[in-house]
Amino acid sequence: MSAVPEPILEIKSVSKFFGGLAANSDVSFTMDEGMILGLIGPNGAGKTTLFNCITGYYPPTKGEILFKGQRLNGMTPDQVCKLGMVRTWQKVRPLAKLSVLDNVVVGALVRTGSVPEAREIAREQLHVVKMAHKADFLAGGLPIGERKKLEVARVLATKPDLLLLDEVMGGLNPAESEDIIQLILDIKKRGLTQMVIEHDMKAIMRISDRIVVLNSGEKLAEGAPQEVVSNPEVVTAYLGEAHV
Amino acid sequence: MTIFLQSLLSGVLIGGAYALIGVGLTIIFGVMRIINFAHGDLVMLGMYASYFLFTLGNVDPFVSIIFVFPLLFLFGAILQKTVINKVLNALPQNQILLTIGIGLILSNTMMLLFTSDYRIISTTYSSGSFRLGEISVSTPLLLSFVITAAVTAVLYWFLLKTDTGQAIRATAQDRDAAQLMGVNVKRMSVLATGIGAGLAAVAGSLISPTYYIFPQVGQPFTLKAFVIVVLGGMGSVMGATVGGVLIGATESLAGAYISSGLKDLVVYVLFLLILLFKPAGLFGKSRV
Amino acid sequence: MRPSPQSRGLALLPVVLGVAAVVALAILPKYVESPYALQLMVLFFLAVIQGEAWNLIGGYGGQYSVGHAAYFGIGAYTVIVLLQSKGLAPWWGLFPALLLAVVVAAIVGSITFRLRGPYFVLASIAVAEIFRLAALNWKQLTNGAEGILLSGIPPLVIGGAQITDFSSKVPFYYMGLALAVVTVLVTIWFQGSKLGYYLQAIREDQDAANSLGIPLTFYKNVALMISAFFTAFAGALYGLYVGFIDPQTAVGLDISVQIVLTAIIGGIGTVLGPVVGAALLVALSEALRSNVLTDLLIGSGLVDAGSGIGQFLRDNLSHAHMLIYGVLVALTILYMPDGVLGGIKNQLRKRRSRAAAAGGAA
Repeated sequence: MSAVPEPILEIKSVSKFFGGLAANSDVSFTMDEGMILGLIGPNGAGKTTLFNCITGYYPPTKGEILFKGQRLNGMTPDQVCKLGMVRTWQKVRPLAKLSVLDNVVVGALVRTGSVPEAREIAREQLHVVKMAHKADFLAGGLPIGERKKLEVARVLATKPDLLLLDEVMGGLNPAESEDIIQLILDIKKRGLTQMVIEHDMKAIMRISDRIVVLNSGEKLAEGAPQEVVSNPEVVTAYLGEAHV
Repeated sequence: MTIFLQSLLSGVLIGGAYALIGVGLTIIFGVMRIINFAHGDLVMLGMYASYFLFTLGNVDPFVSIIFVFPLLFLFGAILQKTVINKVLNALPQNQILLTIGIGLILSNTMMLLFTSDYRIISTTYSSGSFRLGEISVSTPLLLSFVITAAVTAVLYWFLLKTDTGQAIRATAQDRDAAQLMGVNVKRMSVLATGIGAGLAAVAGSLISPTYYIFPQVGQPFTLKAFVIVVLGGMGSVMGATVGGVLIGATESLAGAYISSGLKDLVVYVLFLLILLFKPAGLFGKSRV
Repeated sequence: MRPSPQSRGLALLPVVLGVAAVVALAILPKYVESPYALQLMVLFFLAVIQGEAWNLIGGYGGQYSVGHAAYFGIGAYTVIVLLQSKGLAPWWGLFPALLLAVVVAAIVGSITFRLRGPYFVLASIAVAEIFRLAALNWKQLTNGAEGILLSGIPPLVIGGAQITDFSSKVPFYYMGLALAVVTVLVTIWFQGSKLGYYLQAIREDQDAANSLGIPLTFYKNVALMISAFFTAFAGALYGLYVGFIDPQTAVGLDISVQIVLTAIIGGIGTVLGPVVGAALLVALSEALRSNVLTDLLIGSGLVDAGSGIGQFLRDNLSHAHMLIYGVLVALTILYMPDGVLGGIKNQLRKRRSRAAAAGGAA
């Protein structure tokens, strides 16, 4: 390894309490530019809560989040997006009464005030996710597989440095999942950094450079995919039940 | 001090009727998550019902609630089954517009039928009052407050002690869970709208001896009912009861110390402040 | 996909039709002198302005303000009060009136746009009621419930030449037409702008919009300020045209409902929806007011003129327009929630998607 690069994202002892309940407690890890980090853990482990804290939906109760060296605490989701970090939603949220193209245009407009320019960007991104032929369809009428791809195209259009993907393969058939995996690897080739929440272990093992395991809101383990899978604690807490 | 006590008392007494109106609105909201913008017009229907029972049948307005409640219960239930039920899953804005439309239909139909003339019910006690030390107490207001308290007590008993009441509360707490537990949610929605309409109308009957009765009289009550319900926490019966009395008192004190023309304005400003700073209501919890 | 020559031709068609319609409306007063017809047209233009203005924030942005009477009233009262008590000519009075409406909108928006769904609707009503009660009680300024009767409008003189003395309906006709055209053009611009895209995203899903870099309150506020500007302009025009304002007719809840109704009947979130809604509503209230509808019912033999019902309709239907509005709102929400144009648009889109799907399969 040559000169150690600045991490693109630093999570420093982040805790989030709802009332007395800890959804995240004392979670720390960092991400380097260009990597894919898999975030796994059983249901209710606090993965989505962590996404929400990182992207500004609610402030962490304790701890600090640094993105490209900048402190994010107290920023709103739109400010976080402008800085170059954007997320997708576990339960997809298409802008139902807008066309597929217009959904992506909305994403592109964060970088430009010009609608024609945003349309150009949007068309490119629809090509990336192979949905150009659906540009004029209403987003609300798409099947689930295409909605997931639309979400990815929409966040790509915001020209992010870091993408947070929340279960983009959830509810998809194997062929559709394979499409998404290729898409994620494609995005990586273009130099973007990605954090991926996923339940499908095979997929996460294939795409991740590192994996962080959350359990009951705490970080249980972190390491290269093979390391994590062979960690006995992880096996009992998570893989034991999910790896049927 | 006398002015203060005097206006506080009148406010609390009228607040009893406000509480009934608010409770009706909150039950409808609790069970169906629909804000009924025609609620004040149901109050108006109650006032007219009592008026005609009084002038045509010589029924005392306070006694008339025995007829008015079932009548408006039926009206509310039919309204739910035929119209409101169709928008249970629509956008909240559309639900609101629909009930605004219903309100316009009710008030303007009454105007067509009975003109916009002001009517009054003059009972023997309409302007009666007695003195309590320095303070004068209005007889009809006191009577209406006592009846309000009794109606509220019956309502609480119904909601807390009967199976149907508990089913309504369960539906209000979590519609899906209630359905899974075997509660007939559709029936509860019909019942809730009926009860809500009935309570609003009873409140109308109870204040009819002290108010002018005309087709547009309902509108301010709709707005007041929202203030009460938001104050007490949307969906909370207890909150609406307390909220009604509080708003009655606030209004009366604002009338005495600021200006009688501006008392409603004070209430609306208060409403905005609550929406902004305590959106869950003064009493925090937000369910029945 | 590039637009085919045909579709480019189709895109030109609305422009040609639009220009033709405006030209026709502009020369209409040369041929039609009936004050009655002009009166209807002025009312129509006023409704178009208000409907289009509400459409920006309510239709595109999904923020159902049922309190636009506040801005209408601010426009009407400011211009009329300044004219009547300070003698300030209305074309000067417009500046403070519109400025005030925009400032109030910015304040109201900053406060109420933190609320969502029904809470926002309630807050918007409360704000408008506060303004109505203020107009009712601030008697030195507004003359309270009695309202203000305008004693006259000074003639408009530019460079020594008198343009108009406002004695006929024609100047109001042209002002209404001009402003209506401007609001339609603003809506066309809005629809294709970043602002329009952002408002529609907010309407569809606030959280998703926020995550895509849209500061919600800022964009809602900008749209509300534009909306308030034109609503106040319509209010000022209305006050000058009618020559009388009072709290109920200038700031009442009925005004707010009428404005929303104009937009939703035609179809929210479409450029021409409010125009269609305005035409329908003005025609309908006029048909009621002048008993055309009753005559029609009697003429068609549905109702007997001599019967009790016929007499009742003739006596009452003329002031039943709020009742009919109520019925219209209810019917629209129940059976046509996207309005007349919205319904047509949905049909077209469905057909197009089906055609595209068939084309893709071939």
